Amino acid sequence: MPDDGGLNGSSVAAPAPGRLRRLLTSEHLSGWTFVLPAVILIVVFGLIPIAWGLILSFQKAGLISPEREWVGFENYARIAADPKARQAAVNTIVYTLLFVPISILASLLVAHALNRRIALIRFYRLAVFIPVVTSTIATGIMFLWLFDKNFGLANWALGKIGIGPFGFFEDPDQAMVSLVIMTVWGWLGFDTIIYLAALQGVPPELTEAAAIDGASRWSSFWRITWPMLGPATLLLVVWSTISALQLFDEVFFVTHGGPLGRTSVVVFYVYRLAFEQGLGGLSLAGYAAAIAYVLFLVILLLTLAQFWLARRVVHYTS
Amino acid sequence: MTRRSLILLVSLCLLAACTGGSDDGGSPSAEPSGPVTLTFWHGYTDVEADSLNALLDEWNADHPDIQVKPLFVNNDKALQKLTVALQGGEPPDITYQYGSSLASVAAAPGLVDLTDWVQTPDVDWEDFIPGAREAATVDGKVLGIPALVDNLALVYNKDLFDQAGLDYPTPDWTWDDLRAAAKALTDPAEKRFGFAYPMDASEDSVWHWDPLLWQKGGSILTEDGSKAAFNSPEGVEALELFAGMAVDDRSVYLDIQNSAYTSLFNNGRIGMLETGPWDLASFPDVDYGVEILPGFDGDHQTIAGPDMWCVFDNGGGKKEAALEFLQWLTAAEQVQKEDLATGHLPIRLSVADDEAFVGQMAEALPGVDVFAENLQNVEQARPVLDAYPQISEAMGTAIVSAMLGESEPKAALDKAAQESNDALALAG
Repeated sequence: MPDDGGLNGSSVAAPAPGRLRRLLTSEHLSGWTFVLPAVILIVVFGLIPIAWGLILSFQKAGLISPEREWVGFENYARIAADPKARQAAVNTIVYTLLFVPISILASLLVAHALNRRIALIRFYRLAVFIPVVTSTIATGIMFLWLFDKNFGLANWALGKIGIGPFGFFEDPDQAMVSLVIMTVWGWLGFDTIIYLAALQGVPPELTEAAAIDGASRWSSFWRITWPMLGPATLLLVVWSTISALQLFDEVFFVTHGGPLGRTSVVVFYVYRLAFEQGLGGLSLAGYAAAIAYVLFLVILLLTLAQFWLARRVVHYTS
Repeated sequence: MTRRSLILLVSLCLLAACTGGSDDGGSPSAEPSGPVTLTFWHGYTDVEADSLNALLDEWNADHPDIQVKPLFVNNDKALQKLTVALQGGEPPDITYQYGSSLASVAAAPGLVDLTDWVQTPDVDWEDFIPGAREAATVDGKVLGIPALVDNLALVYNKDLFDQAGLDYPTPDWTWDDLRAAAKALTDPAEKRFGFAYPMDASEDSVWHWDPLLWQKGGSILTEDGSKAAFNSPEGVEALELFAGMAVDDRSVYLDIQNSAYTSLFNNGRIGMLETGPWDLASFPDVDYGVEILPGFDGDHQTIAGPDMWCVFDNGGGKKEAALEFLQWLTAAEQVQKEDLATGHLPIRLSVADDEAFVGQMAEALPGVDVFAENLQNVEQARPVLDAYPQISEAMGTAIVSAMLGESEPKAALDKAAQESNDALALAG
């Protein structure tokens, strides 16, 4: 049966005007029909909240009280004078600067180690990926016990070789680093899979040719493999930066911003303002929305900058 | 029908399913028609849930026209969940809320003002514990009915005291006695601590310290509630005690996540806890004793943490039904059943003063009688204010900061007072 439209002779009995008929039978209609459910989801759960958040950011509003008051740019002006917002911004930047390079370097090393034919390689690859699919809560509970100052396995093991004890999440100066270690562990598998795929895309004849020409393993990696990994590295840098700037789950569950606000990152601070402290008469949801919008703009600009920079340095194979 | 038209049809049906049906049950009908079903949020688990469900079954069997449908909502997130429900325009008919959330809940549309209702004789409002009545009142309006009342006392491990050759705590203990005992009980090699403290800088870090402030004669805010007062010399002295124990004696287990102290106490790693009756069931492996809080200058007052039932008016006679149900649920007879099954402290004076009954409770859960009597030592309540969540955070941060040795008690409290004053000014 020729699939030529299908509405012929069903609901549209009388010859429809040309335009409508063409519309109803065109590829566009079936295309939109296919994507309609997804579009509805994106509009309802994505675009509408984004627009609502923008409106909210210009209001003095709490989430419980229905009262709304327009305050123009007052919420945005307040951010600069808020020491806790500054602390959250600094914490977020420190976290991102630690998390992104460490996770990329570590995953490159692990991917390199897994990119070979040895016994049980599938098991190793699976093992590396399991933390990614483990829930944040489970990871959090595990690290809380592992990193417990007095009873944790980490201090016990480090004590055996004469180091520590560390306070980890309990020590204001170590909490952020502990958080980085935990999240790098949690996301290592994802980055590793991307690098592994990219490594397997590097043609072996290139490295073989280099070896014949007398290149050392290091220069062969540095001059051939690393440039070939450029697109993967770009993807990971962009993606890791975005997710690092939006860190929330681990902070919410493991440190709750503490001790003394040393792990309070921007999204967590936004949550505290909107859903914990500003629910009643303080009406801080609008202010929280303003901070969220500033973060959005920062991420947008940063991502554009990263792509702009990447065009100059990343090598794409045809 | 061809494939494409089939897809179109299915798609339109999906769309119809998405847009339709959202009006169900949303708009309140004016007349109560037939039986009413009440949505009832609570955060009880284990024995508490069993006891509550037994009461609900009893009510539902006797009242075919008012059916109560319970829904579990974690207490710690009950305020957030309520916020979401309000955004959707469908709050529950009755919800459990922490007393500290009440100032925030007060702004909610549809929240029922119970001021007049509690004066009806059947409610017997004066019979509720005074501290709980005070906590239910925001700006002179009664916005909740007390659901649960706690207080803090001293729980100690008898075996550890025996091993260390120490006498058990007595009702006339001072905080210096506690400090000395904590030091004697601490053994770093054994990883044993004399005392423990919640260090997550939440309200938990604050209200364990409030009794010390009050016993010294200090207060959280000035009398007119316009400024912070906890950084007074009394407050500084009260914090110096805890800071000295944590920093100089190292006799305090600093529970940063506020989640480990119960299991550590149950494992014999902690000698004494300042805690409430809700923790007693977590200590099956310890021969524990309970004593009222130590005091400063003979003042042994403690603090209560009352939680509330709040009512929302969803029309259709549901409000009246909800009030009728809550009056029954919080009546002396039901309170007794619940307390005996769960170890909750009596929220009614008539139950708390019934010595035979309290003795019966103590048999079920040792130590509960001390907590029940300790309700007499509740003299003050925390302020119920819009700005309180921020004041609480500032105070919690100051206490944690001093106990970690990050700053001196006075400097920490002064900084917190400044932040609190800013929050108070903002709230107006």
